[in-house]
Amino acid sequence: MSEIKKSIRFFYLYMKRYKLGFSVTILAIIASTYFQVKAPVYMGKAITELANYVIGLAHGVSDKGSFMHSIWLLLLFYVFTVVGMFISNIVITFISGNATNRMRKGLFGKLQKMTIKFFDSHQDGDILSRFTSDLDNISNALNQALGQILSNLAMMIGIVIMMFNQNVELAWVTVASTPIALLIAAILISKTRKYIDLQQNEVGKLNGYINEQISGQKIIITNGLQKEAIDGFTPHNQNVKRATFKGQVYSGMLFPVMSGLSLVNTAIVIFFGGWLAFNGDIGRTAALGLVVVFVQYSQQFYQPITQISSMYNMVQLALTGARRLNEMFDEPNEVNPVNGKQISGLHSNVALKNVRFGYNEDKEILHDVSMNVEKGKMVALVGPTGSGKTTVMNLLNRFYDVNSGSVEFDGVNVRDIDLQSLRDHVGIVLQDSVIFSGTIRDNISFGKPDAADDEIIAAAKQANIHDFIINLDNGYETKVSDENSVFSTGQKQLVSIARTILTNPSLLILDEATSNVDTVTEARIQKAMDNVIQGRTSFVIAHRLKTILNADKIIVLKDGKVIEQGSHDELLDQKGFYSELYHNQFVFD
Amino acid sequence: MDILLSHAKKYWGDIFWAVITVFAMVFATLWQPKLLQNIINAILKDQSNKILSIGVWLIVIAAIGLLAGVINTILSAKVAQSMSADIRETAFRKIQTFSYSNIERFQAGNLVVRLTNDINQVQMLVMTILQSLIRVPILFVGAFILAINTIHQLWWIILVLVILVFGISATTFGKMGAHFGFMQKYIDRVNELAKENLAGVRVVKSFNQESNEQQRFDVVSDKLNGENIYVGVLFSVLIPAFTLVGNLAIVAAIYFVGDLAKTDPSSVAAIASFINYLLQVMFAIIIGGMMMTFSARAMVSLQRLREILDTKPDITYQDVPETDLTGSVSFDHVSFTYEGDDTPTLKDISFAVNPGEMVGIVGATGSGKSTLAQMIPRLFDPQEGTVKVGDTNLKDVNEHSLRKAVAFVLQRAILFSGSVADNLRQGKHDATKSDMDRASKIAQAAEFINRLPEGFDAPVEERSANFSGGQKQRLSITRGVIGQPKVLIMDDSTSALDAKSEKLVQQALNNELKGTTTFIIAEKISSVINADKIFVMDDGKLVGQGTHSELVQNNQIYQEIYATQKGKEEA
Repeated sequence: MSEIKKSIRFFYLYMKRYKLGFSVTILAIIASTYFQVKAPVYMGKAITELANYVIGLAHGVSDKGSFMHSIWLLLLFYVFTVVGMFISNIVITFISGNATNRMRKGLFGKLQKMTIKFFDSHQDGDILSRFTSDLDNISNALNQALGQILSNLAMMIGIVIMMFNQNVELAWVTVASTPIALLIAAILISKTRKYIDLQQNEVGKLNGYINEQISGQKIIITNGLQKEAIDGFTPHNQNVKRATFKGQVYSGMLFPVMSGLSLVNTAIVIFFGGWLAFNGDIGRTAALGLVVVFVQYSQQFYQPITQISSMYNMVQLALTGARRLNEMFDEPNEVNPVNGKQISGLHSNVALKNVRFGYNEDKEILHDVSMNVEKGKMVALVGPTGSGKTTVMNLLNRFYDVNSGSVEFDGVNVRDIDLQSLRDHVGIVLQDSVIFSGTIRDNISFGKPDAADDEIIAAAKQANIHDFIINLDNGYETKVSDENSVFSTGQKQLVSIARTILTNPSLLILDEATSNVDTVTEARIQKAMDNVIQGRTSFVIAHRLKTILNADKIIVLKDGKVIEQGSHDELLDQKGFYSELYHNQFVFD
Repeated sequence: MDILLSHAKKYWGDIFWAVITVFAMVFATLWQPKLLQNIINAILKDQSNKILSIGVWLIVIAAIGLLAGVINTILSAKVAQSMSADIRETAFRKIQTFSYSNIERFQAGNLVVRLTNDINQVQMLVMTILQSLIRVPILFVGAFILAINTIHQLWWIILVLVILVFGISATTFGKMGAHFGFMQKYIDRVNELAKENLAGVRVVKSFNQESNEQQRFDVVSDKLNGENIYVGVLFSVLIPAFTLVGNLAIVAAIYFVGDLAKTDPSSVAAIASFINYLLQVMFAIIIGGMMMTFSARAMVSLQRLREILDTKPDITYQDVPETDLTGSVSFDHVSFTYEGDDTPTLKDISFAVNPGEMVGIVGATGSGKSTLAQMIPRLFDPQEGTVKVGDTNLKDVNEHSLRKAVAFVLQRAILFSGSVADNLRQGKHDATKSDMDRASKIAQAAEFINRLPEGFDAPVEERSANFSGGQKQRLSITRGVIGQPKVLIMDDSTSALDAKSEKLVQQALNNELKGTTTFIIAEKISSVINADKIFVMDDGKLVGQGTHSELVQNNQIYQEIYATQKGKEEA
């Protein structure tokens, strides 16, 4: 229950600024409904007058005045109905569009503020689906369900009032079947839900099977397993067929059953109206008009019931969407110290002091790690997978906060430094390079969007990628994205090195790529790395022997502890873990 | 569309009854106004005795309409489900005849989408056709005829109405189409930006680019919103416009009946049903228009399924008797270019390997090692030259013979969900417990399989998440050796094993599979240093073959590779 409350609160927060728009919409809906339900009265009147006129003709009277009067009123009411409809539709379109747009931007803005921990502990696909399906569901519901439900509710109330004003007996006959209709709608909806869940389950299994088989098609072909693959497929396919059938029957049933009930109800109304014309205490011509009017009411009365029930699923999805967006908005933001210290660069040293850290509270990754790096030195971090190298990197520009101990720049705890100022002076080159959609220029000037052309070219030259870029048809204006393959893996890394060179950080964190690249690119990367490291303080998570040999200091991590540190020769002399690794040709992954 | 027709054959009976029930529904909908007219006539003419019989008819016909609707839904759902399941099965069967390059051309993920989402669209299409779409023309024609029949003097009102509704639909739906396209473009862009910001969250943060990224996103989001609102406004106009046209037609009908009443008083009784038919005509057009918009999407899906069904497998096997192939493998001037590539990946490669030999293949990434290996189990056919296994040209081989003779172990070990034993039996259908024991010992997998409480019956989860990379590779090797193949290809398939285990696997292969010809593709020369022959690949060419000591002497590229790796060992 509180879930629904939360979802509704979410909508309220986004909608409350449109109070004026909503007032206009509701007024327009009420007005248009009033005219719409009132119009049949004049239609009935017109027909009654016409009948009177025809009967009058027989008696030699020929007066069409009151008939024309009714016709004009009918026309007027119809026009007003349409105008009201139009106004409410337009206003709702703008409200729902703008509200969704604000949600979308807000969600993106929230992403920019959240902690790295959130991204590391959630799957991209799951976060992405909030941009796509959840926002989509919300937008659909706002666009369609909101207006429909409001106008249909108004319609139902209006018709009921009108009917009881016109003729109480006929009105009772018309609404008599409502409880049955509602009951049937409720049963159909709950059945649909039940079978759709079952169906999702079976569909999920089938998709899983197909996915696994087709992804593993190489194995299937080389082992000649095609027949087995089909044998495994058939039962899944049959299960889906069975499960989906029921879901589809129940969900497809709503509309025909409702229009069927509407037919039956109209039939009863006509029947009873006819009976009333002869046995009631109203005149025959008046009864005639009433029958025509009530046929319209009976049809209009059933429409809202059908419409609202068919909106149920949409609303349900939107509520789920709102809940899932809420989850995101409830996540904590990155902590930036109030009045944090602004730094102008690194002047003496970077140090980790007795750092203890774990991604989860119950599992500590770094146990009492200390290291100190003087300005201008290069440190190679080495150690087996899981030793904590990447974790150290995560702490240096405060992607994560330590559990105890401290990370200090020139003796100042990073927690006391303004986050933006800190990151302005720390540059990173990741193992997997990221290319943003846009031009190559945009990508290199990513950290400094106002960089001049010659700055960008200088950075690209230092990163050894300039030659490649100018040989492209559009040079620096070539459009790139993560998916199009302008760049090879190695070249992507060169671009990200250029990106970092341009921002001129005083501390550099570099995670060397392990992916296989051809020898030419490898040499280029090596050179670019030398360029970027030159004159900077740097931490390099090293995988290549050459990089390690270049380091001023090698720090060997194992199981979250610094076990050895020193120069290459010193470490070899120690004949410890490093020297053993080195001699056994183990890859430092 | 022909896919639907050919798969509908089995269900003509159900489809026939579905159509009949649609007719019954339309009949009930259209007959009701007639009966209303009769009642009104009866009232006008003061014939109270007729009321009861007409009333009973009214209710009976409405009940028929309701019942027909229910039956129609059940039949439609049944046909839609059965047909889509059949189409899915046909497509899946078809995919199983595909060669690997067929699959790569479609991309595996894309095939999965076609078998799931696209089939889903088709299923909804069939349901819609049977439930609503065939209703539209029947309703349209029926209501049109009945309307003219009811007050024939007013035929022109119907015509004007039809023209107006068609006109409005055509212009707005046309405009919408283009903007739906823009909308999709911006939706894709929103996703792209969100996706790259997720992938690059560390970069964005460390370069302090949060607000710039937000601006970039806002621009796209605003454009998307603009399109959403544009389409929304069109809809906001559309529905009231239809209502207005319908209402005007009603007013006009009543007005002109006022004229007619003088000469033809019965038209007064007819007016209510006339209006009803007018509205039915209008609804038929509107619903038809909306259904068409929806079906356009399903048509795209049908087209995508067609592509699967129309694809000719580009590798087919000769219908020749099964034979036992020996382990000799030879390439004769083999060249191969991947589809879409400009330059060949394999260039004029020739060699011959005798049964029982162990061959190492080394070379830089992209030099064509894996491609060469994939020609042996005939994952691809060369454009030029011939590949022979057991002295048989692979283009003339019996498929079953080839599968029995050649086993291929991939670098990325793929296991299927099920049990360990299920996966091993993929290498040999009737593998016994002792076969499994033997093979798992060779692959150094026995030690961890034996530690599993269920042993060979231990489950393999989806994406084999319950095994480590090294364990997966060892299981995959077990599957490769269990059938005692004549030719075994290991495509860098010990990359996740430590040096010691790798050595043990190789020793076991040497001892246990003496008669098997083995190809080992390796990054490290140390992995193949003891091979009978080492092939050196460079840029698609076979630039050297010989033993380690020969190549170290006389092959420059081999020397280069060896030097960099030796550096690691000795520097």
